[in-house]
Amino acid sequence: MSERLFLTVIVIFLMAVGMSPLLFMLFESMSVDGHFSLNAYAEVLQTDRQWTLMRNSLTLASAVALLTTLVGVPIGILFGKTDLPFRRFFTILFVTPLLVPPYISAVSWSNFFTHAGGFSFQFLFGLPGAILVLFTVFLPVPMLLTIFFLRSIDPSLEEAGRVFASWGKVMRGITIPLIFPAIALSFMLVFILSFGELSVANFLRYDVYAMESFTQFSAFYNFKAATAAALPLVVAALLFLWVEEVFLHKRRVGSHAHFGREVQLIPLGTFRVWLFLSVAILGFTIVLLPLITLLIQSAGLSHYIDAFDRAGDSMLRTLLFGVFAATLLTFFGFFTGYLIHKRTLKIWRLADAATIFLFALPGTVIGIGLISLWNTPWTNFIYAGPAIIIFGLLAKYTALTSKISAVQLSQISPSMEEAAQVSGAGWFRTVVFIVIPLAWRGLAVAWIIGYIFSLRDTAVTMLIYPAGQDTLPIRILTLMANGSPELIASLCVIMILITLLPAALFWLILKTIIKVSP
Amino acid sequence: MKFFFYLAAVLVLMTITGCGEKKEDVSGNVTVYVSEDQVFSEPILRDFEKETGIRVNAIYDTEESKSTGVMNRLIAEKNNPQADVYWANEPIRAEVLKQKGISAPFVSENAKQIPAVFKDPDGYWIGFSARARVFIVNKRVEEKPKGITAYTDPANRGRSVIANPLFGTTTAQMAALYTVWGDEKAKNFMHALKQNSVVISTSNGESADFVAAGVYDFSLVDSDDAINRMRSGKPVMMVYPDQETGGTGCFIVPNAAVLIKGAPHLKEAEILMEYLLSKETERKLAFADCAQIPLHPGVQMPAELKPISAIKVMPVNYSDVAKKMIEIQPFLKEWMGL
Repeated sequence: MSERLFLTVIVIFLMAVGMSPLLFMLFESMSVDGHFSLNAYAEVLQTDRQWTLMRNSLTLASAVALLTTLVGVPIGILFGKTDLPFRRFFTILFVTPLLVPPYISAVSWSNFFTHAGGFSFQFLFGLPGAILVLFTVFLPVPMLLTIFFLRSIDPSLEEAGRVFASWGKVMRGITIPLIFPAIALSFMLVFILSFGELSVANFLRYDVYAMESFTQFSAFYNFKAATAAALPLVVAALLFLWVEEVFLHKRRVGSHAHFGREVQLIPLGTFRVWLFLSVAILGFTIVLLPLITLLIQSAGLSHYIDAFDRAGDSMLRTLLFGVFAATLLTFFGFFTGYLIHKRTLKIWRLADAATIFLFALPGTVIGIGLISLWNTPWTNFIYAGPAIIIFGLLAKYTALTSKISAVQLSQISPSMEEAAQVSGAGWFRTVVFIVIPLAWRGLAVAWIIGYIFSLRDTAVTMLIYPAGQDTLPIRILTLMANGSPELIASLCVIMILITLLPAALFWLILKTIIKVSP
Repeated sequence: MKFFFYLAAVLVLMTITGCGEKKEDVSGNVTVYVSEDQVFSEPILRDFEKETGIRVNAIYDTEESKSTGVMNRLIAEKNNPQADVYWANEPIRAEVLKQKGISAPFVSENAKQIPAVFKDPDGYWIGFSARARVFIVNKRVEEKPKGITAYTDPANRGRSVIANPLFGTTTAQMAALYTVWGDEKAKNFMHALKQNSVVISTSNGESADFVAAGVYDFSLVDSDDAINRMRSGKPVMMVYPDQETGGTGCFIVPNAAVLIKGAPHLKEAEILMEYLLSKETERKLAFADCAQIPLHPGVQMPAELKPISAIKVMPVNYSDVAKKMIEIQPFLKEWMGL
């Protein structure tokens, strides 16, 4: 199978899984009694409130993206590039809020502020609270991407710079420009994630646009209006595609392969203790305080026994779905990223746009689209089984693994592939023996990100999971309605462990394999 | 690389061989969609599994989807039903299902003693174990609200809270008021709520928490929300509204068991329907933390509950309430500023 044919098959599969349900929905939203009609769109989009909601969403998403980038990138540099004490521990600590569904973080903060009482409780409800919670949830995105990109930089470039200049100048002149794609990418990712997120804003009573589509589904059973209400979210996604194209692609830096070499650490000297204390205080405040609230609430073996009794089957399913979905996300993400990077097919832009478009859409829209398309007697074998969940997760999150892969591939010199092909190696052999080993860090990060997002997903899974096959985040959500706070807290702690331990184990195994292999 | 291909092949095989295919005609399985809170409904369904040997596959609603998630799923699955039974936590949406042709009639032996007002006359839904819409009141409040119009009393300006009327039982209660009072009086009441600065919360649970924390004085909530806070020692009490002679009465919200049209496991579905509608299920739900009021006469219940016969019930026709609920959605949306 040739490169072009294989990549075409990948794109067709992703289109069938992700885009066809939406096109089906779009068709239905524009059809009234068999005739073309845009009434649903006109009704939804012609009110002033839509613009107010849009302004609120833009304010929230911009504030969260800006804050997380401003704080996350320096933290990523501290953890990935300096001799800060306990930096690995801090990395894990700061990642924790990303592992649990944002709604749970909002509840944890609410519990904390309830105990704090007074003004602080009121502060949480509204824009400041929504920014705070989403900031803590998405801070790991720029942090992790910065760490990842720092490891991808050719150390010889910095070494050369260090011959003539201080670390400060090297950072400003070489390192930061090289990680600029990470900064832009993380800003874009956080913006889109915050823009489409509704559970936190809903819980903290801040009206956002994503809520409109949800409301059309859940309160009015109006699928057509819900599709129409999703249109501005689509426009926002397309806008960011454009920003990415003119801003990010043109700035791509053509550094070359250099993996396996140690990252040069910047000695912090006299600032070491002060920076350690600052990071420790920040970590304690934004991660540990809500986490401690969870741990205190879940204290006691009986709560954990109850949690396993109530949700043991969901835990196992969550692990299986997470591993399976992450592996497929990595597979499809890698080849989509490869296509976007190499532009082998003219439809590379379509693949790029489609994956980001799906990522930016509210999960409820994807879920309803999947139900509309797959729920027929002829396709029951997909709809009534786990495959529908995998399809939903692939549709929603391939953009993440695709982007990570594309960015990683941009760091690999094209001469490596060219040399292999000149030597007579076919495309598959070149990809397997040259590209993948060089891109293993990117693939590992893509797998972990895919695993985390598959695990924490509720928006898509909630609508499509087959009866008796719920995942742990869904079980937590369903038990939240009048379930005891102790049980919910125990389940949240277990959820964090289920996410963190396999991801860490995977990373360690991969590192060991790479070290052992010649 | 081969590993990836093997995995992809497994997925393809899994889907084309129907690894997760719906087992048509396999006895011993029943699929139920549940809007009642999982913490309360799951133990009942587990007992059903133990007693009958029929395996239950359930999908539960979440607080986040405001008890409408599975309802929307039933609508979306109309042409290829996956569910056999719908356990609704109120009859209004069961009525909507009837109107949309999604449910099927069912005659229950166990439900014969349940009052007719809590059953669809054609058997498309049957009520059991009810919640009452009550006031949760902070104990420090001297002048306790007696009726729903306490919300519009200037003395209570800015001191009361109510859940978003676009969702859940609050929507049903507003629609019920429309049917009892008439459109004009009900609309005026809604406008008066705004004028009296009544705070809108995201859910009944949140309203109850606000009152328990002393942030607001009182709120209309479901009786289980109030009893839950009372049992956990919060300084609150429960007031059944409009109980005086000539009063509107207290709005009662029974659960509803609904048989789905075209249920893939009809025999098991009928067994589950009878189980849900039994006195024993009502007794269990009365003693559970949800403290729901049995609709069968003579069922044991905790002391803090009033038997249904001792409550002045708001005289409503749930079918009319369901129709009114759809009719007033545009007004409610406008009222909420949406």
